Amino acid sequence: MGSPRNNLVILGAVVVLLGVAAYLIFLRQPVTESTQLGLDLQGGVSAQLRGSQTGGGTVSREEMEQASDVIRQRIDRLGVAEPDVRVQGQDQIVVQIPGVENPNEVIDIIGRTAQLGFYQVLATDGSPNTPTDEVDSVGKEIEGNLKDDQDFKPGKTKVIFEESPPIQGDGTDVFGYVVREQPDLTGEALQQNGANVEFDSNNKRVVSLQLTAEGGNQMADLTQEILNDAAVSGESAQMAIALDQDVQSAPVVNEVLSDQISISNNGLPDGLPEDEARQLETVLNTGALPVNMEIISQTTVGPTLGLSSLKSGLLAALLGFGLVLVLLVAIYRALGLVAALALLVYAFLMWGIVVAVPVTMTLPGIAGIVLSIGVAADANVVIFERIKEEVRRGRTSRAAIQAGYDRGFRAIIDGNITTLITAFILFALSTGSVRGFAVLLVIGVLLSVFTAVLVTRALLGLLSGRGVQLSPGMMGVSKGDVSTQRTAG
Amino acid sequence: MFPNVDFVGNWKRWFIISGVLLSLGIIAMLLGRLDLGIDFQGGAQFTATSADRQLSEEEVRAALPPGIADESVVTTIGNNGYEVRTPVLSQAESQEVEGALSDALGAEVSATSVSPAFGEQLRNQALQAVAAALLIIVAFISVRFEFSFAIAAMAALVHDVLLTVGFYAIFGREVSLVTVVAVLTVLGYSLYDTIIIFDRIRENAPTVGYNRRRFDEMVNVSIRQVIRRSIYTSVFTLIPVTALLIFGESTLSDFAFALLVGILAGAYSSIFIAPQTLSLFKAWRAGSVRRARRTPRSA
Repeated sequence: MGSPRNNLVILGAVVVLLGVAAYLIFLRQPVTESTQLGLDLQGGVSAQLRGSQTGGGTVSREEMEQASDVIRQRIDRLGVAEPDVRVQGQDQIVVQIPGVENPNEVIDIIGRTAQLGFYQVLATDGSPNTPTDEVDSVGKEIEGNLKDDQDFKPGKTKVIFEESPPIQGDGTDVFGYVVREQPDLTGEALQQNGANVEFDSNNKRVVSLQLTAEGGNQMADLTQEILNDAAVSGESAQMAIALDQDVQSAPVVNEVLSDQISISNNGLPDGLPEDEARQLETVLNTGALPVNMEIISQTTVGPTLGLSSLKSGLLAALLGFGLVLVLLVAIYRALGLVAALALLVYAFLMWGIVVAVPVTMTLPGIAGIVLSIGVAADANVVIFERIKEEVRRGRTSRAAIQAGYDRGFRAIIDGNITTLITAFILFALSTGSVRGFAVLLVIGVLLSVFTAVLVTRALLGLLSGRGVQLSPGMMGVSKGDVSTQRTAG
Repeated sequence: MFPNVDFVGNWKRWFIISGVLLSLGIIAMLLGRLDLGIDFQGGAQFTATSADRQLSEEEVRAALPPGIADESVVTTIGNNGYEVRTPVLSQAESQEVEGALSDALGAEVSATSVSPAFGEQLRNQALQAVAAALLIIVAFISVRFEFSFAIAAMAALVHDVLLTVGFYAIFGREVSLVTVVAVLTVLGYSLYDTIIIFDRIRENAPTVGYNRRRFDEMVNVSIRQVIRRSIYTSVFTLIPVTALLIFGESTLSDFAFALLVGILAGAYSSIFIAPQTLSLFKAWRAGSVRRARRTPRSA
């Protein structure tokens, strides 16, 4: 058993730590705000994106950092709270946004490459007022027609589509355009923050694009070329403005344009729908992503689902905790009381650490904590069983306690190291909420060695220092057991 | 405790018991009952909570968009919750399903979707994690104890993992990322149990040479000394786990199920598989050494 002075030092440290934990949990801020909850418990959106190059080349770390900056800016402009955007591994980005009201809009906006392109329309075909359930098949038909067109040259041109509400009647207007493979003019022509939601002379909502001086010159050249070609061929002069592969607007060119362009939708009474216009403005002003982004997994959790998960998790944790305390006392009596006290200290300090680090509490995190309660109790079971064994062999309680801690400690250390190994592997090979579980398991194991071994030993040492001798009965060993074992062994 | 049970001598009996359970699990897996969730296959999952209207699973399916309904699995959770699993959906389709569910049920809809490529990545990571854990643990035990202990611990671990996955198949629970976490946790746990017993065997082992009868008897004594602790420990851990199983929502409940099976398997294997394997391996090695010595003499 440790010296009386060591015992006092340990118990003093426990008191100080408890004080610090209490300050962090209850006093620094209202207790309801002290613990950081994960998305699965408070609701929100998380998405994992994978970047790729169009040609299939490797994506550099720098490009991913740039992409994550762009994504962060886009989310900021939506005005939602505290997005967490991180590059993960070689080519992935994890986005986590707590408590969003419009998750689908966020998802729509983050993954868009948003490469703005202006194209000369070489050939076009379309089907106005297409019934909604036929849009896909009509699109295929149009694509087929256009690929037979003389202007379509495989490898040099491509077909892009526009789907928009019709000017009159029901359904969807579906148009396909044959354009050059590469845009004739890209989003680089756009001035910084040059996209703005505005209303045109007919009071319809449009997104106006302010081009740079050089961009304006290039636009003038492009529209001049479109007009010249139309004059030669006799077809209408049309330009397609596309975001990635989706045509946003395909205005007819009547004159040479310069640095003022707008994306409009004349089919709707109010022009572009408000949220679509706002999304366009956001992605155009934050710029294109340097690489293609694909959403490989996404999760949205509603606030009520989160709350009910939190409630059931806490209920299970508290119930399990309570039963463990009762059982400890029932089996080990006085020793169990000491262990139960240490377990309470453990739980409170654990909470303190979670708040201090701070560890984001997730559903697997709760499971990790619940499990670590079992681990913490187990360390005491190992020691106490050893103590009881020594008592049965006829040792005095003092000597038995000494032997129990000395012998039990080695097994506990070996056992805990294996748990730590698995926790570290989990941490290294996993992401997100699983990591939260691993972190909590590690903290729990280390803390449990402190409370279940050092603190209980100090408490028992203090008791025996005050002259309190535990009888076998007080440790849960019946008198009869002691004598029979002694004669037997 | 159990002074009359010959733990080591009756190894055949213990191995048959777990052999039967293992076979049941493996048969269930071969019959394709192992339900890989969207984490590993790709797909989408929608959870509707606090629904205003109570519909049957069929009615919920009917509310889904036509093309998607046929391939969807609808399950009821609790009183007013539903879960819908579908194959991989596009962004637009996914929003359609969300809209349909919230309209039909008047519920809050949460959604998760995973692309097949990402599912494959998760599957590989999971397998790597389990393999890495096993290897490092064997190395660790070889250093702290000796190689024969590592072999025995490994046998026990493989037994526990197979049994856990097998029971998942038997009960048709959904295997998700959380299951892998649970399996890794079970590895750590079961090993803890095994190490407590091995630690006692190490303590009781005579320093003089190996003798099978003496060694087996010593292992029996060691098991008797720590079996009470093993049982208590399992009980102490299973209490909170059972609470999770009963009160936890679907994710926590699946997690708790894996832990429940795994911890029971771990407790069993640390008493009835690992020490016996250790004894058999030691006997086999002593035998092969003797044979190796004898062969050159007779030649």
